[in-house]
Amino acid sequence: MNLIDFSGDAFIVAFTLYCVAFIMYALAVMGRRFRKRDPEAHLAKWGKIAFVTATIGLIGHLLYFFTRWAGSGHVPVSNMYEFMSFLSMAIMIAFLVLYFIYKKSLLGLFALPLAILIMAYAAVFPQQVQPLIPSLQSYWLGIHVTLAALGDAFFAVGFIAGLMHLLQTVNFSGTDKGARREQRWLELVMFAIVVLIGFILSVYSFRAGGYQAEFNQTLVDPKTENSTIVKVEYNMPPLIAPYQSETESMQSFLGMKSPLMEAPSWMHGVNAGRKLNTVVWSLVTGLILYGLLRLILRKPLAKFIQPALHRLDPDDLDEISYRAIAIGFPVFTLGGLIFAMIWAEIAWGRFWGWDPKEVWALITWLFYSVYLHLRLSRGWQGKYSSWLSVIGFIVVMFTLVGVNLIIAGLHSYAGTD
Amino acid sequence: MSQGSKPLIQNTKCDCGHQNPTGTVLCEACGKPLTEEAEAQPILEMRYDGVARRSQKENPGIIDRVWNFFSSVKVAIYLILLTLVGSSLGTIFPQESTFLNIDPSVYYKEEYGQLGHIYYLLGLSHTYTSWWFVLLLVMIGASLVICSLDRVLPLYKALSRQRIPKHMSFLTRQKVVYQGQVQEDGADWVERIKPIIKKKGYRVRTDGGTLLAEKQRFSRWGPYVLHIGLIIFLLAVLGRNLPGLHMDEHMAFPQDEPVHIKNTSYYLLNDGFKVEFYTEDDMPEEFKGKNKVLPKEFQTQAILYMCEANCDDLDKEPQLVELTRHNIEVNHPLNYKGLKAYQFDYDLTPILRTVSPMLIDSKSGKEYGKITLSINDPQREYQAGEYTLTLTQSFTDFGLGDNGKPVNLSPNPNAPAFLFLIKGPDLPKEGVQYFYFPKQIDKERFNQEAINAQLAGGEALVKLDVLSMDDVDFSESTTYLNIRVDKAMPFIWVGCFIGMIGLIMGFYFTHRRIWLRIDNGTLTLGAHTNKNWFGLRKEISAILKQMNIEVDEKSLENNRGTKHESN
Repeated sequence: MNLIDFSGDAFIVAFTLYCVAFIMYALAVMGRRFRKRDPEAHLAKWGKIAFVTATIGLIGHLLYFFTRWAGSGHVPVSNMYEFMSFLSMAIMIAFLVLYFIYKKSLLGLFALPLAILIMAYAAVFPQQVQPLIPSLQSYWLGIHVTLAALGDAFFAVGFIAGLMHLLQTVNFSGTDKGARREQRWLELVMFAIVVLIGFILSVYSFRAGGYQAEFNQTLVDPKTENSTIVKVEYNMPPLIAPYQSETESMQSFLGMKSPLMEAPSWMHGVNAGRKLNTVVWSLVTGLILYGLLRLILRKPLAKFIQPALHRLDPDDLDEISYRAIAIGFPVFTLGGLIFAMIWAEIAWGRFWGWDPKEVWALITWLFYSVYLHLRLSRGWQGKYSSWLSVIGFIVVMFTLVGVNLIIAGLHSYAGTD
Repeated sequence: MSQGSKPLIQNTKCDCGHQNPTGTVLCEACGKPLTEEAEAQPILEMRYDGVARRSQKENPGIIDRVWNFFSSVKVAIYLILLTLVGSSLGTIFPQESTFLNIDPSVYYKEEYGQLGHIYYLLGLSHTYTSWWFVLLLVMIGASLVICSLDRVLPLYKALSRQRIPKHMSFLTRQKVVYQGQVQEDGADWVERIKPIIKKKGYRVRTDGGTLLAEKQRFSRWGPYVLHIGLIIFLLAVLGRNLPGLHMDEHMAFPQDEPVHIKNTSYYLLNDGFKVEFYTEDDMPEEFKGKNKVLPKEFQTQAILYMCEANCDDLDKEPQLVELTRHNIEVNHPLNYKGLKAYQFDYDLTPILRTVSPMLIDSKSGKEYGKITLSINDPQREYQAGEYTLTLTQSFTDFGLGDNGKPVNLSPNPNAPAFLFLIKGPDLPKEGVQYFYFPKQIDKERFNQEAINAQLAGGEALVKLDVLSMDDVDFSESTTYLNIRVDKAMPFIWVGCFIGMIGLIMGFYFTHRRIWLRIDNGTLTLGAHTNKNWFGLRKEISAILKQMNIEVDEKSLENNRGTKHESN
């Protein structure tokens, strides 16, 4: 068995252990309500077991990382699969660091699902080891990418603690305008998370079913008006076909034998139609999933989660959120900006080129410096600060995923088709 | 507090007798809250230790007003937010600078439609060089300088002149508070706790029954050190645009031919270029069979020369002295005293450099003599045996114009052609004209023989022909290098380095202070930190435990705060 295969197995083991640990956390929190034994002891015991399981999962994850490194000969952060796997690992490391400072194992109740989601997202991408193009053949690849991801991971833990703070403090019995607005926005965040799960579920279900459809898309060069025909492959049933395309082949799906509609004309890029189709599918699956959850729980998701957090002190959560961001900020500055500049200077001959990825790294940095100024100089703590940590994480995810998906640039080798 | 109750001129003299400057929130000496606002706070706002900022003067003049504007953190936050939004607008469509040869006034419309055109008209296609963006950066710079100066000097004074005894209302309104009874004499108790606190890394000073313990004060300077780094960085970035500090050229270097680097006395020679591609076996499944060509590495063996003499004289060969050799690869540029050459691109199309054709009698095939013709740099006259060839016209990219006359299509050596006037024995006295195409493909394309027959008015008497491949000299490939000089770079790295040190000081160390006083057997402890309250409470609980006072960490938190939601 070669190292790369072993590494793939370690990945699956880590993923499974994270899932088991998450279930244990859920049992630890919910179990104390059904059982007749001492709830505090129950929580402490199962919280500890869950934490240990998650730590063993992280060891598996590290094993994946280093064996893949040894097997491929380069630090495995060079494509979207490798990067996202690393990010979820970094989130677990950041979670451990914060755990050792504050000893709040319940943080794992939220850190684990985030790591699991990102890991599942990683596995959506092709997993083969790809050879490196010359501009990536540098030890700065490892240093810059891993450190930037680690900074982002601390921001992610800041987001988790901030979200927990919001879930804990939101007032569900309040009927005034402010309370209602908060309830609605928080539920929207929960919905967004469900849509993300919907995306992953739809990718895997259609992959498991082996779904395929092919289109011939006509691309017109605006300058020369020459047209070329490109083959576009779909792995999800085409609710939306590419702009100006003809169906080459299509498996029927629930009696649907032809695409429902064509992508709008301004989405004329090669993969634009497919991406739009994926987004629509994620929303559809997310909506169904959310609807089912609401039917089962009979209350907003945020309201369902709230009691799980009642033992946590909101001030502690607020401080953990701030502390995670305060630890992550210098790491991100060094890895995401300074080392990025040094490498860019060496590889491309300019330390800064306003490439979309660079700009968004700067935006992330500016956003968190606003967060820090508001908190330290203007006393924004508690709710305001927590909302900022949630928005900050959205900015981080846009920088990591959205930029590749929507705006291409020099960093496009980390492609996300 | 109600606006009406604010006195016009604040009385800034504290009960303890200390005269504070206007704008002071907490007495500089004993910490007693001075303003009604501070008085009303259940927990004191400790930022900048309640000292007056430099900008809080009575009667501000114009300069003071500008100063006050930039000294506001609120303004700084707005400036950062505007820069944030501005930068994100620049990523909607690619910037002009990402394209090499485009006319933006047409390009954005063609490529991105009406929205793209509006984007161009708004000037967002060059967001990062537009005046408003540069102005924002300059304003952020001003804000960095002024905000920092405005706070750091008073804070420095306050922290270096701290007095040990503090007012009771200062202690009980800290975020971490403990009150309890002690049996022994206050001064003795304080002497006993002193070494315990010292062991935790604090510097401890006592004054009778009062104590002040402090550690890692330098952490407070972190933000200001960061700001200094950022200022240096911003100055370097803005200063790069000054003339002479910055050069950025993309140049082509055909193999074995020294090329002069503009505005310098350097020449660079491409002494050999190598490229290696990934084989089919190295490729992952998804790339296989798609004929995808993926380069593994490419390298220019470069030699850098300095021109010593004849540099500007076109007729003479420049005298070059070798300075350094380096194999340039992506990620491994040549660097000679700030002149850097980066591998940028390459072209494997061979380029003809010189040909040495033989002048031959068309009928008898008799060879008269060889000439050596340099494609880029032909001579005015050549001698082939007894024959003289005078160059009357040369083309780099030969073509026929609309009127059927020969024209030069471009300065690129795509289709070089030379028109000679040949004189010598057996030829008409005024000579014959002769067109020569060095490349075989052009000879056929433009039908060299027919042209020359026409020029000779019958059959050409002589012809130029290459006899063997040894008489042809190719440059096998061309490498494209990006030549750069950036004299501001060291300042950029220094700025980054200082900023990073500031970040580490500010974020990975915490300034902690503990104040203690004992009044008639009642111990009052107050403590403050700029972050990690959790850790501070833990530390105090451990210290008190050693003095046989058991106290739960969480109970140290001042409960007066929880009743009021902050903000």
